[in-house]
Amino acid sequence: MKVKGGMTVSKPQQESHSIRADRFVGLLDENRKILYKVAGAYAQDSSDRQDLVQEMVVQLWRSFNRYDAGARFSTWMYRIALNVAISWFRAETRHARTFVPAGEAILEVAAAPAESKELEDGLRVLWQAIDGLDALDRALVVLYFDGRSHEAIADVLGISSTNVGTKINRIKTRLRRDLSHPA
Amino acid sequence: MELDDIKQRLEHLDGKLDATLRLNRSVLDSRVLDKVDRALRRLGWVLGLELALGVATVLLTGSFVADHVRQLRFLVPGLVLHIFVIAQIGMLVRHAVATRQIDFGAPIVEIQRRIETLRVSMIRTTMWTLLLAPLLWPPLLIVALKGFLGIDAYVVLGAPYLAANLALGLAVIAIGLLVSRLFADRLSGSPIVRHLMRDLAGTNLAAAQGFLASLSRFETDDPGAS
Repeated sequence: MKVKGGMTVSKPQQESHSIRADRFVGLLDENRKILYKVAGAYAQDSSDRQDLVQEMVVQLWRSFNRYDAGARFSTWMYRIALNVAISWFRAETRHARTFVPAGEAILEVAAAPAESKELEDGLRVLWQAIDGLDALDRALVVLYFDGRSHEAIADVLGISSTNVGTKINRIKTRLRRDLSHPA
Repeated sequence: MELDDIKQRLEHLDGKLDATLRLNRSVLDSRVLDKVDRALRRLGWVLGLELALGVATVLLTGSFVADHVRQLRFLVPGLVLHIFVIAQIGMLVRHAVATRQIDFGAPIVEIQRRIETLRVSMIRTTMWTLLLAPLLWPPLLIVALKGFLGIDAYVVLGAPYLAANLALGLAVIAIGLLVSRLFADRLSGSPIVRHLMRDLAGTNLAAAQGFLASLSRFETDDPGAS
């Protein structure tokens, strides 16, 4: 048994389905902001964001038996969420989603109208910043905005931290140029 | 506005997300997770059934080949079908194994490269299947008539009829290629048909190879990647 992030965890093969599901939902809840941020960076429309969140949760659950409890859950979750989002972003067709009945969202924004509007405005600003970026650069910017170090970003993406620094500088220059000379 | 200004603004909102975001636990507990498990089991059964049908077909065509090993006119169409089915099963197993081995929790560049390489292989398989399928009709006719009904297609239908079918198959391939290249991106009907047409036209293959090239540039920091 190990204690990670305030939660007691044990080897997946020793867990019953319901204990495993509870543990999964608990960890997911602790890190729910990641779902919101990644979906916000890859899907502009709110129903698309719901679909994307659902695909991320499905893939997270499918991969959960491979999760090493010794590793940081947020890093593992970022990798899966971004991998799903990149594939989703690039997919030509949208699959039929049947896991959740229409109208029921996995992630709900329960905020006062003013705060909800502020969050939407935040997503709009994020979207303006990343609009011209490809799927891979978007992943890098999402992690950068989340305050991750170059090393942590490099770990999630699978590139060197020097490469991360170079890319961030290039994106900054590009954004400065785009915002001073809008198309 | 600079990238760091946006970052600061988003960090300010980050604190509010904890209070305002809620995970719908009831949906997750009772529906999504159980349904994902059931869907995965169903997928396993479908794959198993496909495999069983493939193996049964291999046994049938193999038995036909063995029975007609000294009759070249039956041996050749039998072997063509036999090899085609074996190749299809091989690709099915290869793709199923590769799909199962993809760990989405691995670094993004590595996983995206694996997914895209697998996609290239799947597109190539679909392309070759679509291209070869029209040519398989004459051998299938010869083998099925002889194997199931004991009828010699060369005698009953005649060699010119079979040759005409082969020519028709070639014409279907040529027309299919032409139509897919002209209309693959303009079809508004079924997404599956559009996807198949784009596979046949090579559009999907070019896109997948293009993304593999971007991944390499992203990894090695080629300015063309940004």
